Amino acid sequence: MESMYPGYNVLDLQDEWDPHTREIVNRRLGPFTFKLLSPWEQAMIKAVAEHLICDGREEILEWVAFHVDEQLAKPFGEAQRKPGVPPQKELVRRGLKTLDLWAKKHFSEAFLKLDASRQLQLISSFQQGSFHKDTGWETDVQKEFFKKVLGLVTEAYYSHPWVWSEIGYGGPAYPRGYVRIELGITDPWEPRRVGTNEGS
Amino acid sequence: MKDRKFGKEEVDVAVVGLGAAGSVLLCDLAEAGLRVVGIEAGPFWDPQNDFASDELHAKTLAWNDTRLSTGQDPLQLGSNNSGRGVGGGTVHFTGVFYRFHPSDFKVRTLDGVAEDWPISYADLEPFYAKIEQDIKVSGPREFPWGAFHGPYPYPEREPISGNAQVFRKGCEALGIKSTVAPLAILSAPYAGRPPCTNRGFCNQGCMPNAKFSTLIHHIPRALKAGAEVLSDCMATRILVNKGGLVTGVEFNHNGRNYQQKAKIVVLSAFVIETPRLLLNSACSQFPDGLANSSGLVGKYIMPHSGHDVYARFEEEIRLYKGTPVLAVSQDFYETDQSRGFVRGYSLNAHGSRPVGLARLAALNAGIWGKQLRELMLEWNHYARITLVGEVLPALSNCVTLSDEKDEYGLPRAQVSFSYGENDRKLIAHGIEKCKEILTAAGGQPALVIPDSAHLMGGCRMGNDPQTSVVNRFCQSHDIPNLYICDASVFVTSGGANPTETVMAIASRTAGHIASLA
Repeated sequence: MESMYPGYNVLDLQDEWDPHTREIVNRRLGPFTFKLLSPWEQAMIKAVAEHLICDGREEILEWVAFHVDEQLAKPFGEAQRKPGVPPQKELVRRGLKTLDLWAKKHFSEAFLKLDASRQLQLISSFQQGSFHKDTGWETDVQKEFFKKVLGLVTEAYYSHPWVWSEIGYGGPAYPRGYVRIELGITDPWEPRRVGTNEGS
Repeated sequence: MKDRKFGKEEVDVAVVGLGAAGSVLLCDLAEAGLRVVGIEAGPFWDPQNDFASDELHAKTLAWNDTRLSTGQDPLQLGSNNSGRGVGGGTVHFTGVFYRFHPSDFKVRTLDGVAEDWPISYADLEPFYAKIEQDIKVSGPREFPWGAFHGPYPYPEREPISGNAQVFRKGCEALGIKSTVAPLAILSAPYAGRPPCTNRGFCNQGCMPNAKFSTLIHHIPRALKAGAEVLSDCMATRILVNKGGLVTGVEFNHNGRNYQQKAKIVVLSAFVIETPRLLLNSACSQFPDGLANSSGLVGKYIMPHSGHDVYARFEEEIRLYKGTPVLAVSQDFYETDQSRGFVRGYSLNAHGSRPVGLARLAALNAGIWGKQLRELMLEWNHYARITLVGEVLPALSNCVTLSDEKDEYGLPRAQVSFSYGENDRKLIAHGIEKCKEILTAAGGQPALVIPDSAHLMGGCRMGNDPQTSVVNRFCQSHDIPNLYICDASVFVTSGGANPTETVMAIASRTAGHIASLA
């Protein structure tokens, strides 16, 4: 699981970006001021996120947790929600508590103290909604908690410029667009796979 | 609200919602000399300062107010199918600009399902042609499907992206016709706007203004012709007098309520908010909501099935480069009884960006953790085709009012949706075709992500007041000075991106209203 584009860094290109985009992307590098989530909740989000995105880099997890905080703290809507499912702020905060209660019940240990495989086991059972008798939460609500966190974490992770570089994504493109868009050719500033000489 | 132009007077027409339909109405009516006000819930965007080359940021362009979404196949709303702000969904649409086919307007007659529209392709044809010319649609010299075969006003886009090349190669190998996409995106300069720079951020708001939106085309024209635009103004109620006619619109701006008097009100607030506003405007004269004597306000809503099929290729495809949709096929658009279902679909070679791909893979295909990380590290090797599949109307697919209230104290919309049997068969067929095309191009089908796109229906048009909400000119059957004009009047969904048809209907309705004045 290694990047095919080592050495490529979209941030090196930021002088080519419009100021608004540059500001938005650089904010993802921190520092972050949380508005809603407690330090424990932040730690829980990071612990869960690490499994969802399969990446444990603290700087990135910090951004991911901050994005979750920002989305839950904002006053406006969440586009859609299933009937009977609590609003996202309540859903996520209660979900984190439930996850911890569960960890204590099944493994006699706080979630944050569990080893990775046990954490993953609990997260997966949330995805299945399989613990409803223990939690007082309907199967559907558990699944919705999992999906809500998964959506927020995934969109944050794939918005981090380090991740863009690793997957070989050219990143922001304004005012400069692309000239060579056809198969096998690339603009000079795009990521190139190691060992290939495409586009030259 | 300071500096109101028409604040104290009764205007000729108030339009609620300034998206694909409302902006066309506002422009056409203002240019016809009518005094018009457009009332838009969201901001008046400035592309240079409000948009960004960023997927996460672009979520602000969508209608994010919470709706309750239910049914066997609950719809994803927000940025999936709605806009907020002047320009509405045209600000972040892909720019694919299809006409409907003649068969789309007579599905009952031809296929024995759904209903016929009260208008025909011929009724819309002049408006399709006018709009294409007006915004300089680029497209192929010859378009092989439907009734219009080109040429388009502006030449087709070239070059096409790697993803579009792969699509065309696969189609060619199988004897499936494909073309470069007809697009509301410039292929040459026009009106001070540049041709597309292939940055690929159509869904995030076009910053160079190469892509058409009503924000940059119709709204400036409307303003020049004397229209007033009220942005950040959420319409909360349509006002009705004792005689059962509408008298104007109540709206909320920064927490305060205002009223705009109007001789005619046009609702162009899209498939969920238009029915919601009609239902929330219930009064003693119309206890079941406005224009609802048929009981069909909010009923028969339809998305398009929008499944994404991905295949892995040895070479890099780089889905992020270029206009997202640059090649298409409508070879499977018309009914073919041998397939075991009626109606059909379009196939769009469809680029993607990391958040869009990863988020849908996670939420709709259950791919996360190591599997998602591995997929994304190789995402440059994937090509994608997206289905735009016709969904047949069903009474049970509907918008109703829930028990939950929003920040204005109004009941939130509840949206219920389930695919029918024909829809599922059509989807299965479309997915197989996508896999065949990608395989024929040398790819290895890898991933199918269920998705939907667009919304239509909810206030359908028809000749019979008992089975429809508006007539063939989008005038409500029940209230002669209330019009409903947006995708909610669609009787069937067609199997093509709907924006051009929405705009053609709007332009036709504007002509009708102007002729009454």
